[in-house]
Amino acid sequence: MKKYILTTALSILWITLSFASESAFEEAMIKQLKSKSIIQTAEEAQDVINGFMRIAEANEGEWLPLYYAALTQTESAFRFDVNKDQFFDQALEITKKAAQISPSNSEITALHGYILMGKISLDPGSRGQSLSPQVMELFGKAIAQDRSNPRAVNLMSQMELGMSKFFGSGPERACGMARMSMELYQNEEEKVSETYILPTWGKDQMVELMKNCN
Amino acid sequence: MKAKFILLIYFILFQTVAFGQTIISGIVLDEKGIALPGVNIFIKGGYDGATSKIDGSYRFETELEGYQILVFQFMGFKSSQISIECKAELLKIENIILTEEITEMNSVTISAGAMEASDEGKSVILRPLDIVTTPSAMGDIMGAFQTLPGTSTVGNDGRLFVRGGDASEVGIYIDGMRVGNAYGTTAGNVPSRTRFNPNLFKGTFFSTGGYSAEYGQALSSALALNTKDLSIRSQGDLSIMSVGGGYSHTLANEKQSITASANYFNLQPYQNLIKQEIDFEAAPNAWDLEVAAQKKTGKNGLLKVMARTESGGMSLWQQLPGTDRKVLVDLKNDYSYAQANWRTILKNEWTIFTGISYSKNLDQIGYDSLQIERRNELIHIKGTAIKDFSDRLSAKFGVEHFIHPYSEKLVREGWIRDFDDRETYLFTEWDLYLNKDLVFRGGLRGGASSVSEEKWLDPRFSVAYQLKEKGQLSFAAGSFHQLPVDNFRVLNTDLQNSESNHLILNYLFSKDGFTFRAETFYKSYENLVTFEGSPDNPELLKNGGSGYAKGIDFFFRDRQTFKNTDYWVTYSFVDSKRSFNQFQTEVQPSFAPKHNLSIVVKHFITPLKSQLGASFAYNDGYSFTNPNVDNSEMNSKTKSFQNLSLSWSYLPKPNLIIHLACTNVLGRDNVFGYTFSPKANSQGIFESIPQGQVAPRFLFLGIFLTLSKDKTANNLNNL
Repeated sequence: MKKYILTTALSILWITLSFASESAFEEAMIKQLKSKSIIQTAEEAQDVINGFMRIAEANEGEWLPLYYAALTQTESAFRFDVNKDQFFDQALEITKKAAQISPSNSEITALHGYILMGKISLDPGSRGQSLSPQVMELFGKAIAQDRSNPRAVNLMSQMELGMSKFFGSGPERACGMARMSMELYQNEEEKVSETYILPTWGKDQMVELMKNCN
Repeated sequence: MKAKFILLIYFILFQTVAFGQTIISGIVLDEKGIALPGVNIFIKGGYDGATSKIDGSYRFETELEGYQILVFQFMGFKSSQISIECKAELLKIENIILTEEITEMNSVTISAGAMEASDEGKSVILRPLDIVTTPSAMGDIMGAFQTLPGTSTVGNDGRLFVRGGDASEVGIYIDGMRVGNAYGTTAGNVPSRTRFNPNLFKGTFFSTGGYSAEYGQALSSALALNTKDLSIRSQGDLSIMSVGGGYSHTLANEKQSITASANYFNLQPYQNLIKQEIDFEAAPNAWDLEVAAQKKTGKNGLLKVMARTESGGMSLWQQLPGTDRKVLVDLKNDYSYAQANWRTILKNEWTIFTGISYSKNLDQIGYDSLQIERRNELIHIKGTAIKDFSDRLSAKFGVEHFIHPYSEKLVREGWIRDFDDRETYLFTEWDLYLNKDLVFRGGLRGGASSVSEEKWLDPRFSVAYQLKEKGQLSFAAGSFHQLPVDNFRVLNTDLQNSESNHLILNYLFSKDGFTFRAETFYKSYENLVTFEGSPDNPELLKNGGSGYAKGIDFFFRDRQTFKNTDYWVTYSFVDSKRSFNQFQTEVQPSFAPKHNLSIVVKHFITPLKSQLGASFAYNDGYSFTNPNVDNSEMNSKTKSFQNLSLSWSYLPKPNLIIHLACTNVLGRDNVFGYTFSPKANSQGIFESIPQGQVAPRFLFLGIFLTLSKDKTANNLNNL
């Protein structure tokens, strides 16, 4: 009995201590990512954005919290009834901060393009003309920066699909890219673990897009 | 026993941790005392924090102890910090009030007299793309602006006429630098076009009065064209048109880009196919070469350089009223424009702009046996500095110097008359935001001219107030000076500035997809140039004229109601009278029709990959002096002007566009005035010739191809 209590106490102590000794940064990130995955309202999204911004504030050299803050803000603009233009602009601002910390980062470049895609979607008639080439340029750059980034290829394929719909040409190009992206997602999944905090999003979008392909 | 001891220690430790937590709570409000949800509240340097709820309240725990800094952060608001002491208890923070940051996006802007064409603007009046897709504009910048409130269409002139002012009263700027002879030189009743391709520009700022102290030497209007920043990719653009063709090539990387282009136009083949009303000896023709380069300097600087040279001409037979005689009018024009400007942001919220521009124009005109040479040069040097003291107060300071020689020469006789003016200006303008709904702007512009030996001062003032969420009211007043046109000044170098005072009240409403704008104005004119004799041979010029213009205009644009359809409707009423030129009494000028209406509709048909456009322009006619009625001035009016134009743009591939447009589809025989013979005929009647259109219709076909590695590159801007 004594031994049992001792073991329990020690193990509790050990868990507590080991939990504390693990990187506080990673721990906070994992917690925020978990909250991010269950966002239902604009308010919850704001809470998560703020959480990431707090982590960014405490870890000035880290690009990831800023990246996720901008991503959450972007997704919030797409999903909820908020001042979309303002949300995209703010996301852009945060992305630029992230890019200053980590220049030539494929994920950040792709996110930059994704936000501009959002800006276009608000007024395609007048913004498409000047912003579409910029977006294509950014996705192209993101792919060049990291050929194993499935999101860069994913977003590029979505632009391609939009373009092919507009011009009535077939979705072949878009589908080719989508298949490539799916492969990259599969490779990425092999790396993912409980404590993986690098970006992994976007596979669902690809699955959705693949429905346009035979 | 040992186990119990360890357990005890563990629980003591645990308790301490629990007791060591401070619970922080409070409420965040905005300036109006309304709860502010979404604010990020945290302890600096730590992970502990919370987001304020819908009632502005927040509450979180922290294990940190002692003195800490509590930060309140929210996008769009100024961050706030307070010092707190955490000592393991309930810490109730006093109410925190965050002030909203005033930015271009959330604050009221002065809209009196102003119309901005940009992709980013809050209220859409005109977008850069509209310039090339408005059917009646035929790709001319001024053609598109003629569909905007406050302007009137003078079909045989082509230039921009604003609120009872003549075309010279519009000052045209590229990147803040003045452009001399911005319109192509023309003869007879052939309408003029802007020399510059709309493709060069990313946005425009068009003011129909009450504008910034940065602009002067324009009684009615300032038109500021802003060139594009860095190009984002290398590409080639080929255009083949019914009136000519051209090629432009762009090389770009992340730091710099350069575009070179060459064009050639000749209307001869077109005129051989379609009969013209004007008897051309040589159809209008021109070539141009242009280079534009952009380079990033440092972190926040951008250097732009642009140079253009062109040459063109035409030759036509002009009928003299009351005779069978025709005289040959022969025109040759050479023009060059170059400018460089550099803008950068310095430390301490200073923004610096410097620029220099040079325009050179040479007209060689043959009128029957008369040979005239007109030379005009304009050098403009400018520097401005903007200081943002805070998000509420900013000031602009500027200095400008113009070197402006002008000469006219009768070639055969060898007679020359000329002047060489030096003008210097100083200006300053202050913007003060009391809050984001109320802004005041005050400006002062002083000038001096060496030829007119005159110094003058123009105060300007405007205010804008946000009424509700989507509507705003602006008011502008100001004084404006302008030296007379060059061909008058050269006859009498003692001529002084003409002067105009503006009062403008504007209401603007914009909501996603809708823009409504109403504006009423009054402007006075003093010291306009009057002369004796005819406009061809003015004598005894003096600053003896005066007048006024008043009116109201409305603008409505809707991109929302009908799917894939964008339309705008403009109505402008102008009541203007002035004594000027040969008119000794106050008359309605021929360029100021009273009622002006314009409708533009664009519709995109996705299955056809086509955009269809239609534009309709109407005014109630141009005044003219008919000596057969009585001997009073401007005693008659032409029939109404009407023009229905259609266009069709077809995009079969992302990089190919085929554009077809036709003006005056209905073939209405528009008349802009009459030329009367100076003497009555044997029946006592002054014979006349109507000033009409070059041709009933103008048909345009263009094919635009973009060549680049990126196959999706689109050429729509070239339409």
